[in-house]
Amino acid sequence: MTILNAKNLTKTFGKKTALAQIDLDIPRGRIIGLLGPNGSGKSTFIKLATGLLVPTAGEITIDGVAPGVDTKSKTSYLSERTYLNGWMRVNELLAFFEDFYQDFNRIKAENMLKDLNINPNDRLKTMSKGTKEKVQLILVMSRSAELYLLDEPIGGVDPAARDYILNTIITNYKEDASVIISTHLIADIEQILDDIVFISNGEITLTSSVDEIRETHNQSVDGLFREVFKC
Amino acid sequence: MLTKLLKNEIKATGRIFLPLYGALLILTIVTKLALTFGAPDFFSDNVATNPFMEVVIGISFTLYFIAVVALSVMTLVMIIQRFYKNLFTDEGYLMFSLPVKTWELVISKLLVGLMWSAVCTLMFVVSFFILSLGSFTMMDLTQGISAAYTDYSNTFGASLNVLIFEIIIFGIVSTVASILMIYVSIAIGQLFNQHRIVASFGAYIVITIAIQIISSIVMAVFAISNLDTVISQGNDIQAMEMMHWIINVSTFLNVILCGAFYFATQYIMKNRLNLE
Repeated sequence: MTILNAKNLTKTFGKKTALAQIDLDIPRGRIIGLLGPNGSGKSTFIKLATGLLVPTAGEITIDGVAPGVDTKSKTSYLSERTYLNGWMRVNELLAFFEDFYQDFNRIKAENMLKDLNINPNDRLKTMSKGTKEKVQLILVMSRSAELYLLDEPIGGVDPAARDYILNTIITNYKEDASVIISTHLIADIEQILDDIVFISNGEITLTSSVDEIRETHNQSVDGLFREVFKC
Repeated sequence: MLTKLLKNEIKATGRIFLPLYGALLILTIVTKLALTFGAPDFFSDNVATNPFMEVVIGISFTLYFIAVVALSVMTLVMIIQRFYKNLFTDEGYLMFSLPVKTWELVISKLLVGLMWSAVCTLMFVVSFFILSLGSFTMMDLTQGISAAYTDYSNTFGASLNVLIFEIIIFGIVSTVASILMIYVSIAIGQLFNQHRIVASFGAYIVITIAIQIISSIVMAVFAISNLDTVISQGNDIQAMEMMHWIINVSTFLNVILCGAFYFATQYIMKNRLNLE
């Protein structure tokens, strides 16, 4: 079963091509690393999947449907930006998510906040950038979505919280859901990945399972990444 | 989902407006008290007060005036800021990934903007009413109104209600058009990769000029085709007919503008969204 499918997917911004004729099939029940250097088109791909961008050519579907209200209710998206406004308290944010997403599990979110020592009565404004990112990730992972799109989920948080977050990701998604993680911090997330997609200059250069890489290339994903994208 | 968006929008804006309305009411009452005790004859011509009360009245009037201006400015600022900041900056990543339709986002902002514009106007009316309490009686007011009606129907042979109705419709439609014009300018501005706010202002100015040109042409065509009436001034009834005509044509043009702005905004947001 496919959760996400891209056919001939192309996105250009003016004269710049961000993605060039990408074909990709993401099955259910996998954790996929979308790996590539800065500016390779990772975020563009994820934004196309969320419907924030519209393809220039080709198509992208989630569970067989083009991005829209239907797909947005079953994909959980963590943007690279902190998209939470400053004036709300964490509690109010929980209510906001509960209001708009039927699959949001408030108890789960409250437990995770407790684990990370975040006070639900604090305003976002008073928090550090890292704490805001944690709150955002907790909100996103407390939904039981069918597809998680995580754009640079661990960029701004400390290594201790990183472990907790990765653990959260692998323990929180449903069996038939998939998680796409875009990052260049490969070493940190390598142990949780099932599959990898290498992307470079808007083109997919390699898709493979992590096991395959270890067997055929006899090295870690991080090692292979450094070799492939050597400057 | 629209109701949820409306609820959220009212919550986000109400926390700013409610304290401002409270401040306006308090300042109205303080000013009224200062007037009542310090200068009971303020609304008649012989103002005779002691210097101390003059200062108190001066200060409370100044503060009152500031509150009125602040509320007007804030209403406009919030209409712009809620649309721009909530949809086209980082917060847009959240808003556009909610399972809602694009038109629901536009309409929720528009309706709440309209609501605050209406509440703001109402607050001014209430405030002026409180300030002028005592300077007239309810009887004066009702008599004045009925006199205006009789006068109007004697002169023009029609009910004043029609004119009032047309003016209210025009007021609503032109308010919607001016809000949507701000929205479409912001949406056009975000098509650019840099200097988006400058581009939005540019778009606003260009649209303003275009509308000026079009309405000048419409009015010129109208004036030429009714040259007789315009030059001879006609009689009162003809002048009033012209008045009706101008109001209704303006309303009609504004409805067309509303449609154009709305669909352009929605098209850009749906197909050409380009968050930073």
